[in-house]
Order: sequence, then C-alpha cells, then structure tokens
Amino acid sequence: MSAELTVLLVEDEPHIRRVLQSVLASEGYRVFEAETGERGLVEASTRRPDLLVVDLGLPDMDGVEVVRAVRHWSELPILILSARAEEADKIAALDAGADDYLAKPFGVGELLARVRALVRRRTKGGEGTPVVSFGEVQVDLARRAVTRSGELVHLTNIEYRLLAVLVVNAGKVMTHRHLMRDVWGPGHAENSHYLRIYVSRLRQKLEPNPTEPAHLLTESGVGYRFVA
Amino acid sequence: MNCRMLSRTAAPWAYPAAVAACGLLTLLVMPLRHYLDLANIVMLFLLLTFFAALWLGRGPAVVSALLGVALFDFIFVPPHLAFIPSDAQYVVMLGVMLAVALLTAQLTARVREHAIAACRREEQTRRLYQLARDLAGAVTRWDTQRALDDYLRHTGYRGMLYLVDASGETLPAVEEASLASALRETVRRAAPVEGELAGPALFLPLGARDRISGIMVVTVASPASPPPALESETFEAVASLVAIAVERLHAAEEVQVSRDQAASERLRASILSALSHDLRTPLTALVGMTDSLALSGSMQAGPTRDRLSAEALAAIREQARSIGHMVTNLLDMARLQAGKVNLRKEWQLFDDVIGASLRQLRAAYPGRPVRVRLASGLPLVEFDAALIERVLVNLLENAAKYAPADRPIEVDAWQDGDAACLAVSDRGAGFSPQRIDRMFGLFERGNAESPQPGVGLGLAICHAIVEAHGGTIRAENRRDGGARVSLRLPLGAPPAFEDEEAEA
Repeated sequence: MSAELTVLLVEDEPHIRRVLQSVLASEGYRVFEAETGERGLVEASTRRPDLLVVDLGLPDMDGVEVVRAVRHWSELPILILSARAEEADKIAALDAGADDYLAKPFGVGELLARVRALVRRRTKGGEGTPVVSFGEVQVDLARRAVTRSGELVHLTNIEYRLLAVLVVNAGKVMTHRHLMRDVWGPGHAENSHYLRIYVSRLRQKLEPNPTEPAHLLTESGVGYRFVA
Repeated sequence: MNCRMLSRTAAPWAYPAAVAACGLLTLLVMPLRHYLDLANIVMLFLLLTFFAALWLGRGPAVVSALLGVALFDFIFVPPHLAFIPSDAQYVVMLGVMLAVALLTAQLTARVREHAIAACRREEQTRRLYQLARDLAGAVTRWDTQRALDDYLRHTGYRGMLYLVDASGETLPAVEEASLASALRETVRRAAPVEGELAGPALFLPLGARDRISGIMVVTVASPASPPPALESETFEAVASLVAIAVERLHAAEEVQVSRDQAASERLRASILSALSHDLRTPLTALVGMTDSLALSGSMQAGPTRDRLSAEALAAIREQARSIGHMVTNLLDMARLQAGKVNLRKEWQLFDDVIGASLRQLRAAYPGRPVRVRLASGLPLVEFDAALIERVLVNLLENAAKYAPADRPIEVDAWQDGDAACLAVSDRGAGFSPQRIDRMFGLFERGNAESPQPGVGLGLAICHAIVEAHGGTIRAENRRDGGARVSLRLPLGAPPAFEDEEAEA
C-alpha cells in the first residue's frame, strides 16, 4: 500500500483489541488504539485516522456519543462493533452517522471486507464517478439514466431518487429513517412501508434474482445497503 | 366575636339574667327618680332590652322588655307602686315603650342570629379548608381516614371510609349484612343513601357515576346529635373532597406500580445485555484469533502438519460460530420467555426478510440450492423484521442441516384468508412422527440420536417469536418425503399507500 492508511480502534476489551490490531496490521494498516470513548475522541482529533472502529459497549461513554461527537467535525468512515442486545443503540449510532456495523462475534474476513470497502470509499473521495455499474446494470448519475444489459430501464422519480441515494452511499448501511428523509423529505419517517415497497420494485427491475438480492441488500430491522 | 359564645338557643341562665338585670336597673334608677325625667328612664330600660337581645338572645330580650315595662309602670309612673297610671298620657307612653322594646328585641336578635350564621359558615369554611389541606398531604388511605376523623371530631358525627378496589369489592371487607347491602346500594345508585334504607347513618359515594372509588359512611357519635342528613355539616362537600384525595391516591398507586414494572423491565434488559456482552466478547476474540492464525498459516504454505492445524483451526472456528449461534438463541429465548417482549413491529413485505435470511444461510452454507416461491401481490404484513428473520434463519439452517445437500430447500410465501403464510420445506428424512407434536417444546430435538449438534432451542424460539406476533406455527411431514414448517401471521389493516403519479 502506497500511503499508509490509519485505523483508530476504540474498544475496551484487550483480547479483541489485540486480535483486531494484529489482523489490521498484517493487512498493512497502521493501527492506533483507545480503551475508552474519552481517549478515543482525543486520539481521533490528533491522529486524524482514515477509519474509526468503535465498540458500542464502552465503559465510560455510549458508543453512540462517540459517533455523534466525531460527526461534529469529521466525515471519516465509522464502523461499529455491536453485540446483538444493543439493537436500538446500533440504529441510533447509524442514524448518528456511523457507516456500517458488525455484530459480535464476527469473522476476520468479514471485518476486513467492511474495512476495505469503507476505506475505498474514503480514498475515492466524496465525488465518486458519475457512472456506477453493478451486475448488468449501469447507473449514470450525471444523465439520470439507468440501463440494464444496455437497455434503458424506466424508473419513476422516487425509484430513481432512492436508487441514487443508495448507490452514492455504496457499502454504507442506510437506516430506514435516513432513507425516508433523503428520498421523501423530513416528516415521513413514520411511513417506512413506502420504502419497503419501492425497494421491492427496484429489485424487480434491477436484480438478477429479486428474491435473493445481490446488490440491494436488506439489513433486517435496520435499513438497506447497496453493494456493487 | 367567638361563635361558641353566640349560641343560637338561649342558655338556661339567660332568662334569670334578664330578670336580674331589670331588677338591678330598677334599684339603680330608684334613688335618681326625682332628678331624671321619665322619658330618660324609658331610654335606660330600652337600652337594657337592646343589650339583652344582643347578648342573651331573643327570648330573654322579650322577657326584659315585658318586665321592664311592668317595673317602669309599677315604680316610676305615678301613682307609684300601682299599675294603673293616673294620667292617660302615661298609657300612651307605656304603649310606645312596650312596642319599641319588643321591636328592638326582635331586630337586634335577628342581627345577632345573622352574625351567628355568618360566623358558623366561616368556621365551617375554615374547617373544610383544613380538611382539604390535610387530605392534600395524605399519602396513604389511613391519612385520609385520619383527616376525616379530625374534621368530624367536634360535630358529634363519625365517618368511616370504605374504599372500592378495582374489582368492585369494598375495602376493608364488610361482615355486617345490613352495612354491606347499604354499601352495595350506594355503589349501585351512585347517589347518597339516607333515611330508612340506611338507618341512623348516611352513605355517600366517593366519585362520579362511572367510577366510584369508595363510600363514606357517617354515623352518630354522640347520642345528642340528630341522625346525619345530607344538608347538615356539608357532608356532600366533605365527600367530594375525600373523593378527590382517594382518586389521587389511586392514581399515585398506579404510577408506582407501573414504575416498579418499568424498573424490573430495565433490570432484566440490562442483565440480558450484560450477559450478551460477556458471552460474545470472548467468542469474538476466539473467532478473531482463529481467523488470524489461519491467515498467517496460509501465507506460509507448508507440510502436512500445517494442513492438519488448518483443519483444526477451521473446526475451532465452526464450533465457535455454533456457540455464538446458541448464545443468540438462548438470550432470545430468555427475552421471549420473560414475558413482555418489545416487538419492533413495522409494516413490510416478506421479500425483505426472506432475502436477508437467505444471505445468512449463504454465509454458513454457500452454494446450497434454494427455491423461493412468492405468491404475487402479497400484502404488507406487520412484524418485527429481526425476529422473523431469526425464525427463518433457524428453519433454513435446520433444513440445511438435516436434508441432503443436493436437494433444494424450498421457501414459500402466500396469503391464506386473513393470514400471511411462510413455509420452509426440505427433502430430508422429516420429523419423527412420535415427536412431531412436541417439536416446539424447549430442548426437544427432532431426532434425539441425530449426530447433528444442537440442543433443540431453535424451534422453541420460532414458536415463541411467532406466538408473540399472534401467529401460529406447525410442523408436518410432506406426503412425498421431507419436512415442512409453516407459520401464519395475522394480516391487519395495512397503512395507506399512495402510488406515485404515473409519469411520462
């Protein structure tokens, strides 16, 4: 890796910290560690890492608080580690601006895949390319055109807006609330069934196998995620 | 002026006092009769009557008026020591004096009575205010009773509170039949019961018709008091004050109960969350360490020993994964069995949850053939996505575990009347017929001798989750071989959906 990428790990459990440290280091990342949320915030502001990995169950402060505090001044990608009992916290953290989550226990392969995806988004920059392709589908964000195997796919306004938001945030878990706000505007958070219906229509039009989607993925109880 | 001094009925000593005052005045004026004009002496007697009316009441004042006129006539009007006046002029004088004296007595006594009434009212208001203040500070039912006792202490009446609990039974329980029937009658009519029905008591309901929180029974405490009546002692006002206090106590109790429930709910949630954290943390470390060992091992490809250790690592990882699975199941079961589960229900389509659970199946069983059949036009169903995903993942993993790897697992979704249905079927050996009815019990396994790991939590959790949604789940063997588990979730009234306006 040319420029060394840095990861800040905020996790109170020493064993997990050691494992994550060695795995990430072996992949060529430079890893900083913080045991507490307080320490993590200080490190985040001084080290300016390329990625933040935060455990939700920190001893001193809520992981959600850490996410919120970091989002005040930075857009750096944030990956959350959660135990399943922290479902509500997980959604709160994603709503607060975290990019992705991993439920404990997770495999190293899973972790590395998520980390790579998030860092790639980061290094590619916010602009992104105007054309995104997945499977046989091409989305031209500049021309607002979607084609499947070269043929133009007709999408309604809302379908296109929804697809665009998901595609622009590729790899990132988008909560129901976030998507409702971005596509339908504020004040529609209660009507998340609209979202489900439109995602289902997008899958019918774009997924090779709509019952087992490969690109427009469901995060049950949380939201949706687009992967190319 | 103190109200107690102003008794409405004249005290027994008032009449002698009036007589004595008249005598005394006569004795005092007697030596002066040569210096004073008769008219002035009349004034003195009228003044006496005025004071008698003011201080002693109407009766003694009338007595003093009559006696004063008689004494004046007998002693001061010539001829002295005789009643028949010598001059007709004196007859007029005596007549006017009698009339004025009686009028004075009458008017003054009325003023005095008004004053007494006003004073009484003020006193009553003050005591009601005191009662209201005591009741406002009441924390228990006994405080309410005590405040009532304080209020009634000097009235000659006694009050007893019978509070009604949620089931309509009075507290404390009443043994005496006549009292019980009078209490019931009061509750039934939701209006005061007095007179014959109640005997020498008054039954006042506390609260309004639709919600009676108790009954106040007023009885006579001292034999001198008349039977209690609605009009006297503002019993109705007292009853409504007590009703407010009792209502407030009820509300406070309800708040306390729900606060206790919330506290125990929080405690349970935090225990489960701590348990979940403490069990998953070492597992995460374990999985992570095996993975990183495997990674570093694969980099230095080598002899057989490394292949063996790689296999061991894979086995450790697989076991850790299945422990993780079990922990999830156990914690879910604990949460579901604890009773009130907070379902995060939302209106959604089955496609989402089927897709998500297939993705989970793929993580453990990549390349396993699955056939999904969704009936077209399935409506929105209200359920907790994370929990129904658990059900599907459990069913899919069971199918993957017990059925041959080359036969597809089938997932079906359809609508049947007022229920949305989901089924997972396989082409395995099916359930053992003796056990099929007990499939969903805790720690039941389809086949006790099966070499597959697991403690039989999966189906029990599916059952608990579906039941929490108000649905049903059943297991059966397919006629042409294989197992099938199907669940039905009730269809409610989905929220409105306005389609986008069609555009060009």
